[in-house]
Amino acid sequence: MAVDAAVRTAPAARTGGRRLRWSIGMLALPISVWLVFFFIVPFGLILWYSFGDKPSLYVTHSNDVLSLDRYVEAVSPAFLQTFGRTLEISVVGTILCLLIAFPMAYWMATKLSPRRQGLVLALVLIPYWTNFLVRTIGWQITLSPEGFLSEGLQALGLRDGPLEVLYTMPAVQLGVVYNYLPLMILPLYVALERMDHRLLEASRDLGANAFESFRRVTLPLALPGIAAGMLLVFVPLMGDYITPSVLGGAQGGMVGQMVAGQFNRAQNWALGSAMAVILMLAILATVVIFALVARLVGSVLGRVQRVDLSAALPQQGGAR
Amino acid sequence: MTGVRTDTGTTGAMATAASADRIATPATAAAAPTARKRRRSLTDVLIAAWGVLGLLFLFFPVIVIIVYSFNTGRQLRSWDGFGFSSYENALSNPTIVATIQVSILAAAGSAVVSTILGSLAGVALARRPSARWVGWLTLLLGLIMVTPEIVNAVSLLPWFVDLSNTWNLSIFSIGQVRLIVAHSLFSCAVVTFIVRARMAGVDESLEEAAADLGAPPLRRFLDITFPLMRPAVISGALLAFTLSLDNTVLSSFVSVAGSTPWPVYVFASLRATLRPEIAAVSTLMLGLTLIALALVGLVLRRASKTTGDTNGGLAATLVG
Repeated sequence: MAVDAAVRTAPAARTGGRRLRWSIGMLALPISVWLVFFFIVPFGLILWYSFGDKPSLYVTHSNDVLSLDRYVEAVSPAFLQTFGRTLEISVVGTILCLLIAFPMAYWMATKLSPRRQGLVLALVLIPYWTNFLVRTIGWQITLSPEGFLSEGLQALGLRDGPLEVLYTMPAVQLGVVYNYLPLMILPLYVALERMDHRLLEASRDLGANAFESFRRVTLPLALPGIAAGMLLVFVPLMGDYITPSVLGGAQGGMVGQMVAGQFNRAQNWALGSAMAVILMLAILATVVIFALVARLVGSVLGRVQRVDLSAALPQQGGAR
Repeated sequence: MTGVRTDTGTTGAMATAASADRIATPATAAAAPTARKRRRSLTDVLIAAWGVLGLLFLFFPVIVIIVYSFNTGRQLRSWDGFGFSSYENALSNPTIVATIQVSILAAAGSAVVSTILGSLAGVALARRPSARWVGWLTLLLGLIMVTPEIVNAVSLLPWFVDLSNTWNLSIFSIGQVRLIVAHSLFSCAVVTFIVRARMAGVDESLEEAAADLGAPPLRRFLDITFPLMRPAVISGALLAFTLSLDNTVLSSFVSVAGSTPWPVYVFASLRATLRPEIAAVSTLMLGLTLIALALVGLVLRRASKTTGDTNGGLAATLVG
């Protein structure tokens, strides 16, 4: 600090410092240009296409006449049905991920020694870094009517006929819960691992039972992790295209497939663009609503817990 | 299994002993620990069982794929017999070998691009956390992370077509270039956050001192800044490599006939028949990813020894 002040008072060094300051800011320029050129502009392009139409069979798009007709066309009954199913799969999937991941993350963060934590963390990461598509194919093999699970269940007499789960909505539900589970476990683990365990002991010593301690100490402290995990799971889940393609069939389609279909098969870029924009807006709206609700819940909980936490914080600071 | 149980058992016992110490009156101390110990150990066992079951769930389809890679039948789904024929067939199939080469080349390219862009931006963000452009850049990077891949993919496809046809930039009609650009978008955001996290704790005074002593910018960067950020750069590069290796959605939209990457080949063969060769190559690719992951873990662990970071920090870095 003292050195810094001394540098600032010397006129010669000041220009040097300013030059350094300026040039460091410039380091962010390449990525900004890159992302604007390959992320913002392309999105602007499909936004532009979405106001056009598909003039003939062999042309993908045209912006000669501008209208909102593609949005009207996009929200067809079939699209709305698929959109509703996508929303249902995403909401149920996010909640299931949270319910499965929370005890796992709690176990990893509080019940294991640091050495074991590293090992289990690696075990969670290995499937996560296995190819998404290949993992989903693993479920396709498992769930298929002629697969080992189906035959095993029949041999045990638990089922009369072959398994009929593949290419249905439950198969997609299972697939997405599986595929996005690590994205829920990791932020929860990060939040719980940072928790000061003596707070739990203190709460217990002060007479709270296990449930009470969980509700009033663990849960509020895990809240940022819960919010991050729900966001990390929900957003990609809404746009998932691989899982329903592998496991969904005709009954379990999701919006991502409809968007892709307009670009791949129908070659109707105008309509596909409108669908993509709707999907993007729906996700942004959900995230904004979720953030507002989370802030509200946080402030309510914060008001209730303020006494406990302010008493705990100096102790935590001293320990670190 | 047993190791985990004994471990949690001792932790539980130690915690009860510790809490028993704090209880002032000996009369309650005698009664409380026995009752508490039984309850705690039961919930501990249940939580540990849940955790282990969760890990098995995560590994299940990965194991299915590895086992089925030794299937000698013609179809992946229906088990025929054990053998290595699928590995032999895969490695002698020129199409499959070509797709793997495309994948690895694209992964290397996108790792280089996103590491350069992300490292520069990470340094800039860590050094100028309060500059005016920081909010905009963070928003841009955040948008990339919450945009569903499918929206990104359908917007890049028309942009690349436009760039190569209308703007006559024929470089964007090369499949390999398209793959590298598309994969670099998400990865450079990840690298930025990793490098920022690493450099946020590092003091700038060293560079200022070097500047005052007359070191030119490049020299300052090579001698001081780069050695400090090296662990973050290496792990960021390896993560970018694996992210690109796994990418299916973006690749299936932007790739050009003749430069089909491996996941797109798998995705296309879903519509025809999945053959055991796919499981064989996937198992080999899993091995490659695991090596990369192990390197990341090693690098981060060595780095965390100097900065005193924990598993939580490691997880936070890997989630991005």
